[in-house]
Amino acid sequence: MPRFPDKIDLYDDRGKLIDTKVPLDAVSPLINPAIKKIISIIKRAVAVDLRGLERSLATGAVGGRGCIIRGRELKLDIVRNAPAIADKIEKLVRVKPGDDTEVKILRGGENLLVMVPSLRLEAGVEYTTAFTVVAAALCHVLIETFNISMWDYDMVHAAVWGRYPQSVDPMGACVSQLLAVPQQNEGMGYALRNIPAAHIAMITKRNAMNAAALAAILEQTAMYEMGDAIGPFERYQLLGLAYQGLNANNMVYDLVKENGKSGTLGDVVRSTVKRAVADKVIRPLKKLPSGYVLYTTDDLSLWNAYAAAGLLAGTMVTCGAARAMQHVTSVLVYFNDLIEREAGLPGVDFGRAEGTGIEMSFFSHSIYGGGNPCVFHGNHIVTRHSKGFVIPCVAAAVALDAGTVYYSPERLSGVVGEVLSEVPELREPLKYVGDAASKIKGEV
Amino acid sequence: MSEYKPQFYPGSSLIAQNRRKYLDLKYQLRRLRSISDEDIVRLLGHRAPGEAYKTVHPPLEEMGEPDCPIRKLVEPTPGAKAGDRIRYVQFTDSVYFAPLHPVIRCWVYHNRWRGVDPGSLSGRTPLEGRERDIELISKDLLETELFDPARSAVRGASVHGHALRLDENGLMFDMQRRYKYDPEKGEVVYVKDQTGKPLDKPIYVGKPLPEEELKKITTIFRADYISLRDDSELMEFVQRLHWLRTMAGANPELVKGV
Repeated sequence: MPRFPDKIDLYDDRGKLIDTKVPLDAVSPLINPAIKKIISIIKRAVAVDLRGLERSLATGAVGGRGCIIRGRELKLDIVRNAPAIADKIEKLVRVKPGDDTEVKILRGGENLLVMVPSLRLEAGVEYTTAFTVVAAALCHVLIETFNISMWDYDMVHAAVWGRYPQSVDPMGACVSQLLAVPQQNEGMGYALRNIPAAHIAMITKRNAMNAAALAAILEQTAMYEMGDAIGPFERYQLLGLAYQGLNANNMVYDLVKENGKSGTLGDVVRSTVKRAVADKVIRPLKKLPSGYVLYTTDDLSLWNAYAAAGLLAGTMVTCGAARAMQHVTSVLVYFNDLIEREAGLPGVDFGRAEGTGIEMSFFSHSIYGGGNPCVFHGNHIVTRHSKGFVIPCVAAAVALDAGTVYYSPERLSGVVGEVLSEVPELREPLKYVGDAASKIKGEV
Repeated sequence: MSEYKPQFYPGSSLIAQNRRKYLDLKYQLRRLRSISDEDIVRLLGHRAPGEAYKTVHPPLEEMGEPDCPIRKLVEPTPGAKAGDRIRYVQFTDSVYFAPLHPVIRCWVYHNRWRGVDPGSLSGRTPLEGRERDIELISKDLLETELFDPARSAVRGASVHGHALRLDENGLMFDMQRRYKYDPEKGEVVYVKDQTGKPLDKPIYVGKPLPEEELKKITTIFRADYISLRDDSELMEFVQRLHWLRTMAGANPELVKGV
C-alpha cells in the first residue's frame, strides 16, 4: 500500500514515456532499487589513476602540489602492468567468490575502476572503507609486482595515499572516491551533498537532464540522512525529486521545449504558472483592485515541485541559450522573484532557493572570490541552504557550458568523473531509476 | 477569473503599473534617442569598433556539442553560437526618479532578453553575457525610455553616486567624470568609456527628461513621492508572501487555501 496518494508519469531525458501512473513511493530513495544501487555504487566505487601514479613515482612528486622529493624517484612500468595490478587488487579486495567486487581497466590501463564488495562496507560504519581498502591494496600490489625495496615503501605510500594522514584529506593521492572524507562534511548527513557539480556533469557526459537527475537523487537522498524528509516534509522532498529531478509528467522537458527556441526566463515562469493552473495545482483566490489575481493552493508541496521543475527548465533555457554556466545564479534569484510575483505564492523551497542564489552569485562572480559553478555542491558553505532544489540546476548549468570558464569541469573533475561515467546507472540515472520504479510500481 | 493570463506584478500605484509595463514584452518600449552601433562598442570598451570578436571557444558548429537533448531544444544566442567571450555592461540608477533600479532591471532583462546574466547590487546592476549579445541589448537599454541620460549611467567601475544629490544640471555625481552636460546641445555627453578610459570622440546620449516626466515613468517608490505604503494592494501582497514562506517552512501542509 503506497504511503502517498500521488501518481506520476515517468519520462526519460528525451521526453520518451517510461511508464504511467507510477506511485510516488516508487521513486523514494528508501524503496527504488536503482537509487539504492546508485548510492551503493557511490559508496563502493573508487577510481585509480595509474598514469598519474606512474608519473608521480617517476618524478618524486608526491603528496600534492609543490612537493617533490629529489633522489627518491622510482621508475616503474605501472600502466603496462595494469592487467596484473588489477588482477591482484581484485584478489585482495574480494571477500568471497561471487560477491559484488569488480575491477575494470579503463583507457588502456591508465585508470582502474574498483568496486569494493558490499560485505566490506557492511562490516564497518564509514563509507571511507572503499578508499582505504583500495589504497592499501594498491600499495601491497605495487610492492609485490615490482619487488620494491623496504626503504622505498614510504614513497609508494605517499604516491598512493597522497599527503594523508598529515593532511585531513588524501591530498595528491592517485586513488579517489566521489565522496569527500567525513571531516569535510558540513554536518550530519551531508556526505552525498559533498560532490561538486563538475563531477556530476562529467559523470553524466554533459547530458543536462541526467546531470540534474543525478544531482537531485544525491541531494534528496541526503535529505533522508539529514532528517529533512520526515513527516510532512517527506512528501515535499519526494515530489521535488520526482518533478524536478526525474522529469515526472515530462514537465521539465515540456517547459524547455516550449521556450527553447525563443523564450526568456520570464516566459518559462509564465509557462510554469499556466501549467499549474491547468493541472489545478493552484487556483484563483481573489482579484485585487488592480485586476491582479492572487492564486492559492491546497497542496503547497506539489506547487513547490512544479516551481522547482520550472526553475530547472529556466536554468536550461537561460544557460542553454548562452551555453554558459555562470547564468545559473541569476536564474535562481530572478526565477523565484518573478514566479512569486506572477502567482502570489512562495517560490521554490519557500524562499531558500532564491536566498541560496543570492549567496552563490556573489561567490561565483568574483565579488567575494569563490569559483565558477563547477566547484559548488550541497555541502558548500554558500549553497547548502536550499534542501536539494538548487544543485540540480547548478549541475545542469555546468553540463550546458560550451567552454566559457578557465577551470572547466574536465579540468576540475579529472579522473573521477571520467572513470565513474563508465557506470551506466550513474551516467543515465533517468532511465535506470524510471525503469526500476516501473518494475516495482505494483509492489509499493 | 479561472483562465490564466500573465500578470507580471501586483499593485495599483503608478509605480506598480510602470513596473508591470516594463516587464510585459507586449509593451513596446519608447525609443527616445539613437546611438550608433559604433558608439555603443566604444562606450562598452571591450573591443575597438570594427575589430573581430575575440572567442573563448570555437563556434559551436565547428566544435560539435555533446549528445544532450536540451542542447537540441535550446537555440543558442548569436554570441554563444560564435563562441564570444563573456563581457558586461553595467548601469547605475539615481534614487531620484530614475526609470529603473537594480532589482527591476534584472526582472526586465530576464523578461525581454535570452541568455542574460544580470545581478542586482545596492547601486549597480551588472549584466553579463556573450559579447555581441551584450552589445545588442545595450543598444536597446540606452536608446529607450529605460535610460535617462541624467538619472541613469553606464559605469563599469567606480560606480557609486546613485544616492548622492544631483548636480546643478540634474546629473548624478560620477567620481570618474565619464560624462558631462553640454549646455549648447542640451544633451549629456560621454567623454570616457564605461571603465573611465578617455574616448577619442565624445558620445552623445541625448537630452535628460524633465523631472515631471521622470516621475511618470519611474519604478522607484519614494517616501517623498509615492511610498510603498501608499499602495495597499502591494503591501498586502508583500506581507502575504512573507507569511506564506514562513508558514510553509514551519509545515507545508499548513498552507491550504490561503
